[in-house]
Order: sequence, then C-alpha cells, then structure tokens
Amino acid sequence: MNNRRRSAKPALGRREFMGAGLAVAAGSAVSCSRSIEPGAGWRFFTAAEALAVEAICAQLIPADQDPGAREAGVVNFIDLQLSRRYKKHRGAYRQGIAAVDAAGRSKFGKPFVELTGERQIEVLNAVEEDSRPFFELILAHTRQGFYGDPRHGGNRNMASWKMVGLPYPPLRGREHYQG
Amino acid sequence: MALKHVNAVVVGAGAGGGVVAKELATAGLSVVLLERGRWYSAADCRKDDLFNQRTQVLGAKFGPDEERDPRVLVDESGREMVVSPSDGGYSNNAACVGGGTFSYGAMAWRYMEKDFRMRSTYGAVEDSTLDDWPIAYSDLEPYYEKAEWEMGVSGDDSGNPFKAPRRKPLPMPPLAPNREYEVLHPAARRLGLHPFDIPMLRNTVPYNGRRACMRCRWCVGFACELSARTGTHNTVIPAALATGNCELRTGCMTREILLDSRARATGVAYFDAGGRLQEQPAGLVIVSGGAIESARLLLNSKHRLFPNGLGNRNGWVGRNLQSHSYSGANGLFEFETFDDLGPGASVAICDYNHGNPGLAGGALLANEFIRLPYQFMALVPPWISRWGSEHKDFVRTAYRRTMVVMGPVQEMPMFDARVQLDPKVKDYWGIPVARLSGTRHPHTIEVGRFIASKAEAWLKEAGAVETWKRVPSKSLSGGQHQAGTCRMGNDPQTSVVDASCRIHDVDNVYVIDASVHPTNGGFNPGLTILANAYRASGALLQAWKGKVRL
Amino acid sequence: MKRVIAAAGLLLAASLLVVPGTTLYFESGQGRRCTSCHEMQPLYDTWHASSHRDTACGKCHGDALTLDAAFHMNNVHRAWNHMRDDLPERIGFGNRQAMTAGRQCRSCHRQEYARWESGPHSAGFARIFLDRKHNTANMLMDDCLRCHGMFFEGGVGDLVQPVNRTGPWRLTQPDLAGMPSMPCATCHQVHRFGEPMHKTGEEGRTPGPAQEIARPSLAFFDRRTEQYVPVADLPVPAMKEGARAVRMSPDRRQALCYQCHAPIASMQVGSGDDRTGMGVHEGISCLACHEQHEQKTRASCATCHPKMSNCGLDVEKMDTTFLADGSKHNIHWVKCADCHTKGVPAKKQEKQQ
Repeated sequence: MNNRRRSAKPALGRREFMGAGLAVAAGSAVSCSRSIEPGAGWRFFTAAEALAVEAICAQLIPADQDPGAREAGVVNFIDLQLSRRYKKHRGAYRQGIAAVDAAGRSKFGKPFVELTGERQIEVLNAVEEDSRPFFELILAHTRQGFYGDPRHGGNRNMASWKMVGLPYPPLRGREHYQG
Repeated sequence: MALKHVNAVVVGAGAGGGVVAKELATAGLSVVLLERGRWYSAADCRKDDLFNQRTQVLGAKFGPDEERDPRVLVDESGREMVVSPSDGGYSNNAACVGGGTFSYGAMAWRYMEKDFRMRSTYGAVEDSTLDDWPIAYSDLEPYYEKAEWEMGVSGDDSGNPFKAPRRKPLPMPPLAPNREYEVLHPAARRLGLHPFDIPMLRNTVPYNGRRACMRCRWCVGFACELSARTGTHNTVIPAALATGNCELRTGCMTREILLDSRARATGVAYFDAGGRLQEQPAGLVIVSGGAIESARLLLNSKHRLFPNGLGNRNGWVGRNLQSHSYSGANGLFEFETFDDLGPGASVAICDYNHGNPGLAGGALLANEFIRLPYQFMALVPPWISRWGSEHKDFVRTAYRRTMVVMGPVQEMPMFDARVQLDPKVKDYWGIPVARLSGTRHPHTIEVGRFIASKAEAWLKEAGAVETWKRVPSKSLSGGQHQAGTCRMGNDPQTSVVDASCRIHDVDNVYVIDASVHPTNGGFNPGLTILANAYRASGALLQAWKGKVRL
Repeated sequence: MKRVIAAAGLLLAASLLVVPGTTLYFESGQGRRCTSCHEMQPLYDTWHASSHRDTACGKCHGDALTLDAAFHMNNVHRAWNHMRDDLPERIGFGNRQAMTAGRQCRSCHRQEYARWESGPHSAGFARIFLDRKHNTANMLMDDCLRCHGMFFEGGVGDLVQPVNRTGPWRLTQPDLAGMPSMPCATCHQVHRFGEPMHKTGEEGRTPGPAQEIARPSLAFFDRRTEQYVPVADLPVPAMKEGARAVRMSPDRRQALCYQCHAPIASMQVGSGDDRTGMGVHEGISCLACHEQHEQKTRASCATCHPKMSNCGLDVEKMDTTFLADGSKHNIHWVKCADCHTKGVPAKKQEKQQ
C-alpha cells in the first residue's frame, strides 16, 4: 500500500506536468499487457478514499476460495472510470465515502476501514438503508469492475471469468483456407 | 447552399432505409442516403462486455452520441428528466450504418396472419388504439421471401404448425443444436408444444460471399467479425453503393424536410459531419429514422399547411409508441446447460402467439442469447442477497447451470404513449429533441404474466429445480423494437401514412421503417421491417414510373 | 505577416529545443520518469520486473532523438490528451510501434529473429491480404485480423480496399506490404515478470531438458480485448474425432498455436484450421515437429524415426503431405490403415513370439 504515493488532485503542477508529459512522450508507445493495477497512484481518489472504497468493495464481493473485489482490483476500475465515463459520479463518491465513514464512526467510533468484517457488514447494511443511491452506485460499479472486462481496470487476471468457468479467450476457428 | 438535386434522399441507413436505398438505386434513381452515425467495424467494438449495444454501462457503442443526442423522458409520475442514450428510458436503438441490424441478435421472424388483423381477431380493447394493418400477410409474403433469400436467413420452421403459409423454405439450414436446445426441445415436445429452430439473418453456411457463423459468445450487441450475421450494412447498402447511383453520407443529422408552398417536399436540410448546414434537394424524401427519430423529424418539419408537423394534421404523428414487453422466466438446473456455443438462442415455440384464452395476442418463446458474466447479474433470483458471499457463491455455482426462456409480448397500442418535441431541450445541433411519455397497456402486462408462466412451465419440464419469472413493468416501452409512431392506415383521420407508406396528403414523402407498424407482432420486428421496405419500395417505384414530373 | 513568421519560427525553435531536453530529462531517470503519468506506471512496473529490465525503454520504443515524425506526433497527442484530463484506459501498442519494436528484437535475439524471418510466420501484409486466390474465394473480414495484423488499428476495410471478391485489392498503407503481419509481439509479451538471462557459459548451444521450455514471455496478444493472455491461461482444447476424445499432448506451448490454428466450434480434429496430430501422430505436440520461429519440420522425422529403424521403412519417402503437398495422406492425421487398406499387419516382433 505504500506505493500509493500520490493523491490525485491536483495531480501535477504545470511545470511538473511539462516534464512529465514529455517524459511520457519519450517513453511512450509501450505495450499494453495488462490492466492498470493499484500502485499506479490514484487518479481521483485520495489514498484514504481508495482504501475505504476497496474495503467496501471487498464486502460487496468478498474473497473466498476465489479472489474477491479487492484481489481483482475493483477499486482501480472505479478510480479509472471516475476519470472517464463516470466523471459525473465524482461528487456522489466523495460524499458517499464520507457518509460510510461517518456511519462507521457513529456506530462503532472508528472509520470504516478500521472495523472488523462483521462490523463493516453491519455498517453497509445501514448504508444500504440510509444512503441508497450511493449504495446502488457502488454496488453496480463493483459488479462491473469484478465481472466486466479486465481492459477497464478491474477483474484482474480475469479472476471472475475463471471463477464462473468461462475461459478466455475461447478457441474458435473457421472453415479452412487452402492457399 | 444547395447541393446537386437527386431523385431521392433517404434519411437513416438502418433496416428500412438500407433496403429502400438499394431498391431505388438498382432501379436507376439517384439516391443520397443520410446517416447520423458512423460505419463501424468490429475493430471499434472489440467484444467489450461493458461497452456495447446490449450492455451500455460504459456507453452505447454504436450510438447515438452520449453527449449530443439527449431526450426528455416523462415517467409515470409525471417527472421529467433529460436522458442520454445509455440511460434506461432513453429507448435507444443504434445510430450507425445498418442501424439496429448492425448489432442485433438477428432473429428473422415472419409475423403471423392474425398479427396483421389484431382488431378483427380480438375486437376493440379498452383504452387501446388496437387496429388492423391496411395490408394482409399475403401482401407481404412475397417480400418476406425476397428478404429471406436476398439477404440470407437460416433456420428451420418446418416444425412450426402455427406459421403463416410460405412458398419457399429458408435458404440456409439451422446451426447444430447447442446444449440448451438439446434440453429444451424434447421438454417442449413432452408438453405437447411445437419446438423448432429459430430463423435468423445469419449465415450458417457461406452465403452471398460471406462466411458462416463461427458460434462465438458475443452476438447480440456486438459487431460480427466474420460478417456472418446479416444486416443492411453488409448486404443492401453495399449493393446500393455498387450501383454507382447511391451516395452514403455518414455523420449527417437531418434537421427538417423542406417543403414548397403546396407542402410538397423539395429535399431536406441537414448538418453534415463537419457541422455545416446543407440542403439536399430531392424529388422524393424517405424517412427511415426509427419510430422515435422518424416521428421527431416529421414534427420538426413544420409548414403553413402542417403547423404541427408534417403529416400531423390529426395529431397522430408520434402516437402509439410501442415495442415489445419481454416476458419469461429463468431456470436453475442441477446439470450444466452452458456450452459456450453462440449465439445461444436456438429453439422457439409459437404455441402462445395467439389463441390464449381471454387474452389478445401473445408472444413467441425462445431461449436467450449467451449471457456474459456481467449480464448474469440480472439473472440472480430475488431471494439471493444482493451482495456479499451468498451473491458471489450463487454466481459461481449457477452461471453454467441457468437457462432463460422469454418472448416479445405483442403490445396493445396506447394513444398516450407518444413522441413529442420537447419545448426546451435541444440537441447538439439546436434541433428540438424527442420527449417521450406514456405507459404500457394493462392488458400487455397481463399477457406478459401469462407468457412468463408458460416459460416457467417449459423450464420446469426441462428439469429446472428453481424458476423465477420476468414480467414487464408499467413504464413506457420503446428501445430497439420501437414502432408505431407513424401508423399506416387507409383512413387519414386515424393514421399517418397510407398502405404504400406515403404520408397522407403529401405527394412525395414516405415513412419506411417500423414507425408505420399499426401493431408490432409477438416477434422481433427486423424481418418485417425489411420485407415492408421491399414492398413499399416497389410501390414507390411504380408511382415514380407513373409520374414523369417528379 | 512578419510577426506570424517570427512567432512560427520561435515556436519551431522551441519545439526543437524541447526534444533534446526531453531526452535528457528522461535519460536521467532511467525510466522512472516515464511513470510521472499514472497511465504509464503499470507498464513501467512490468518492465522493471521483466527480463528486459536492463534494456532501456528507448532501445525498443525509440527515443526523443528519432526522426520518425509519427513517434513525436503520437506523443504530442498523448500529452495533449493528458493536459485535457482525457485519460486513456490503457496505453496500447500500435501497429507501427509493434513493427518498430519487433525490429529491435533482432539486435539481441539474432538467431531467433533470422529463423522467424525465414519461416511462414513472418509473412508480410501483402502476402496475406492481397492473395488473389484467397480474396476471390473468401470475402475479407475483420476476423482475419485476429491472427494476421492483430495490432492494426481499424477494421479490414481500413487496411485493404476494396472489400469485395472482385478486386483488384490494394493496401491503404502501401509500405505495410513487406512488414510482418505477425510480429514478435504476437506471441511474446515483453512487459511481464522474468529474470534476465545470465550466461554462465555452461549451457549448450541448443536448449536441453535442463532449460525451461515455456519461456515466460509466451503469451497470445488477443486483439479483441487488446491484452496478452499468458500461455498458462490459454486453453488446450479437448479435441474430438467423431465422439472419441483425442489424446492430447500435455505441452502447454501448443495452446499458443491453437489460438489461430483452431478447429471450428465442433472441436473436430482437422476442422477449420486445426492440425492436431492424429492417427500415428496422435498425442504429439505441435512443437515436436515444428521448430518454433521458423516452423521447419524437415529435420524432425529422424527424431522418432531413425533411418535404420527395426521396421526398415524410410518414413520421409512414404506417400504423405510431408513428401508432397498433393498427397491425400495428411501427415497430421495419417493412420496405418490409410495405406494398409486390407488391415494392418501385426508387428514383426509380435509375429516372432
């Protein structure tokens, strides 16, 4: 977790940016082997928010004999999409995470991430009642990040596809061509 | 600035517009085909399970544009909201070359004889504008055949005793059965039903130079990399272009139909791909934008003689918006039912399309296309927790052991289910947007419940240990199967276009797409739109030959 | 007017200065500077943990001093998008970048590169996409790009025109004609975990059993998701001959071959582009006979069929496609009974007993 060293906002100063942008320029064109993994630094979340979201996701889709939302990097999916398609949900997340933490504090005197698993579930049950829109949002996004295509930043190593028994890529040929 | 005059301008390169462009261009007319979307390739889609035309959580892959094309939705409680294409309630159909046929599942149904005579068959239904078509099945039959053979349909409906008479069989055999077929087909037989192979606009053997389906898991919602699935984008539109008489212009948003003092169309005004306003003069204007956009274009084309929009003297343009109320059931099995053999949908019955006691109409029932893991979220039964270990465990254990049987319930048209122009909201080009309002008819929901119970019985017979139903809600029905907004009829008081799809009292403007369907059958409408477009093109060409002055 | 020219001149001078400046900035960080943008971080991380960690980014991807205009335009475009907060989901590998990087492989992997270049898998775009016989029989389609030109940005219509069966066909980018449609990056993932090779001088020239067979770089670039799938995750199919399950070699490397040399959905041996060994060759890995990179098979028979075998037959002279393409006995699935139509004679040894 130590390598999440940057809170994303403001990401870079202007001068830093020039250097960074050009450095990207210089080192660009690199192969696209896998989804962006946590450790990449957060694009929207603060480090604390990222931990909170990760903890929430890990309760929504917990690890068992198969990886859960945490292991599949769902928080990375959410952070990435909040910088792209889901920009409109940024406010909802900022407030929603604060609400979850507040619920944790008022119920058990601690922020969400510091609670035990059972207590986290209890808090989330309350959040499901009291902050329904945010709960629905993060539940939908967690499912997308876990069960959706790894190209969007989640479902690391196709964990959920392996779990349900849907191998990727499938093997399909066509009628043969004799040259 | 006006462009070079052409014989015909066709607005919309989807199912209807594609066929019309090809028929007219082949007959020697000069045609301009305007399409607001792009011509996509499989490279634009890349099997993205969160960003395609079926699952739109990250956007509607094949349009319309998320930012540029808002609509206004008025829900049942009267609340208004501005919606984007990927929002529920937008009633999205793809905006691209091929339209819905570019990324659909490609079921290729003929409607049944009674589907054209719903009013005569079932009588008046309270609060519904249910009516007969001005044409009969027999009028459309030759054009169904033409669509099946010219574009290519596979399947085998010889086991369907309810089908309307056909002269020729389908040109291609069905795909080999998948596991769901092997389970559901005998189960239907045991119930005394009549299962058969779904007809599809899909090559199962090489046909017209295109390959056979490779049976991948990404079908409906995605681009076909083999071009084995058939749409207007890989059949009639290339054929139209090959004549040299047709010019396709993509990225072009039509603003209005231009009319002279006698309300005869002189062409259309549109914004080209660069956002410049252009005027395309034409002798004929064919509107093929889909039920919502076609109605919107007519409403936006105002004239002294048509102050409320072209063809809207009696206030029928935009009325009777309908689609299909998908109803059915999901079943959980003790054995594996998933074999990853696309497209998945394979076996159907037409036992419940008509003749259901006390009910008007019905639906075909068929097994569903392959569900990708994220799509499976919608299949988790209501008694499973929505999150936590129980949910995850259900997905893990049930993913390969679940089947879905459902069907498109024929809807009772509602006069108040409608497309209007929103007085305030405008799109990127400054054109007033569609405002959708209304609800489904209660009888539609009743039929839906009946169909769902039949689907459940079929799954149970097939061995399902648990089943749970899917019934339609009351909210407005639109989406990919949208229809009805420019009703075809003989009486100008209660319809928008005549039996030849020409707008009543307007010499040279035609609406050729599902807008003209008075009722929408208990079937996917694709083949009917294509067949009717072939038929209307024929009528149009005859009128053309009779009038030199055009 | 003068002012405009002066301003343009200044801009030009500035941009020319920026180039060496960037190099300096970049070189000073040994790659770490690349990661000032978070989009680049995972690529940096995977490279940093890879066997190519001692090879600087610029070695494969070109550096700021290159004269390739497309390289600079791409970077300007990226910087511009970054500035507008328009983040890419991932940073990908373009067609030309795959070509450029592939050529760089040669500087170290000379022998492998030469072998690949002499084999069929180095076929250029023209050879694959402008084949008259193929194109008149089969309509070009986007799925061709899954195995040929997988890094190409766009559909087949963006690569070849016209998309019909009458032709004449041409490449929209004529200089692609001779470039490989299946570059090194098709089967090799460079940005992945691995240890650098340290030669101790003790290994033999040819790989022996002591050396790992499946290089960690083996992965298939899946065009559909634009991602690599490591060979360990690729399926080796359960092939069938009729209803019978065919015995499959446990060699995992074959999974890579199967991605393109794939059977149709029925999984029948010999269907589609499948070449699964059957008959006398059942259960044998593709790579037992096909040398990787050049795919040559000429020297392979002797491995199992020495000339002076106890059966006394020279298998290379038998009537199979190994001897002549036109033979009706495909070497992949030839059975004893194909020639011994009246029944296969019992083996000599068995007779003697």
